[in-house]
Amino acid sequence: MRFLIHLALMIVVALGTGFGLSWYALNDGRLFGAVEIGPWQAWRDVGVPGPDPYTRAYIARSGALELGASEGLQFIATFDSDNRRLDRNCRYRIDGSTPPARFWTLVPVAPDTGSPITRPDGPLDFHSARLSRAPDGSVELYVSKTLAPQNWLEIAGDGPFDLVLTLYDTSSLSGTGANVATLPSIIREVCA
Amino acid sequence: MIRTGLWILAGLVLGGIIHIVVILLLPALSATAAWDRVMALGPAEGTQVLAAVAADQPNPLRLDPELAYAICRVDLRKGPGTVVGSLPQAFWSVAVYGRNGTVIYSTTNRDSTSNLLDLGLFNAAQTRLLAEQKLDVAEGLLIVEAQKDDLMVVVRLAPPHLAMRARYEQALAALRCGNLPT
Repeated sequence: MRFLIHLALMIVVALGTGFGLSWYALNDGRLFGAVEIGPWQAWRDVGVPGPDPYTRAYIARSGALELGASEGLQFIATFDSDNRRLDRNCRYRIDGSTPPARFWTLVPVAPDTGSPITRPDGPLDFHSARLSRAPDGSVELYVSKTLAPQNWLEIAGDGPFDLVLTLYDTSSLSGTGANVATLPSIIREVCA
Repeated sequence: MIRTGLWILAGLVLGGIIHIVVILLLPALSATAAWDRVMALGPAEGTQVLAAVAADQPNPLRLDPELAYAICRVDLRKGPGTVVGSLPQAFWSVAVYGRNGTVIYSTTNRDSTSNLLDLGLFNAAQTRLLAEQKLDVAEGLLIVEAQKDDLMVVVRLAPPHLAMRARYEQALAALRCGNLPT
């Protein structure tokens, strides 16, 4: 009887460790190939011809058309700068500068489907060429259901969301480009 | 107590092995790979322009709403692949994907002197024939060597304004995609 209890314990520990670690590696890959800059995360080798096994598994699981390394780089934020889950009932200010790139886009999306969560018939995203900027080039963006100043993107619905920042034609993370620590912060202002 | 600890240790070691097996097998077993999602969109022949992303509509390929996309699948068993056409004066890029969704090659038009896209895709045997000058290809062809025969080429094009999207999608649809005669 004791043998069976020990065997069951071992199987539970093995399955929990094996599948739990795999789930963690592909969802929060900080220890396994993803880079984290403030609230933003990116898989560094997602667009190179020979990615490491963790990145390869991430690509297979996401099912997305990942950007090639020459095309650009995509960052995803699921939490704000204070490590709270992004929530559609809150107003967020995205504040700061971005690394040099030919252009960039910022899209609020539903976590499970990847669909933009903006108001139907409204703009779906921010585009770097169509923003009002401060004299130093920095931007102040607002994502919320309620009216906000400056550059505002109106979102709809309830529940969590992700922010997807895509830099096109950038040398970020290549080791030769600008400091990627210039990614903007995501500040939660008020919640309904 | 020591015996229980040894069983837990054995469980941790076995868990580590399960983890490695899961990570290594996932690309082969995943049913959500980009290739399968593109296959579900329609027939493999020719260039296919993807529908624009809309609010609250599923976006499984995680496309950027600002960009227009053309996809072309090429089977190198039928001969070297080719994607040729002229694109508007705006940002465009090309990425070649393998069946497992990894990017084999990518480039943008940053250093391009013209708006002409002329891409040739060759497997190892065809590259050898090319080196031996047994394959006749046009001068200026952008040559990409692939280790696999099933490839997917994605052309991304960024219209400066929403009003220009239809015209840019027409340019993508006019890209010629297929196999070179051997």
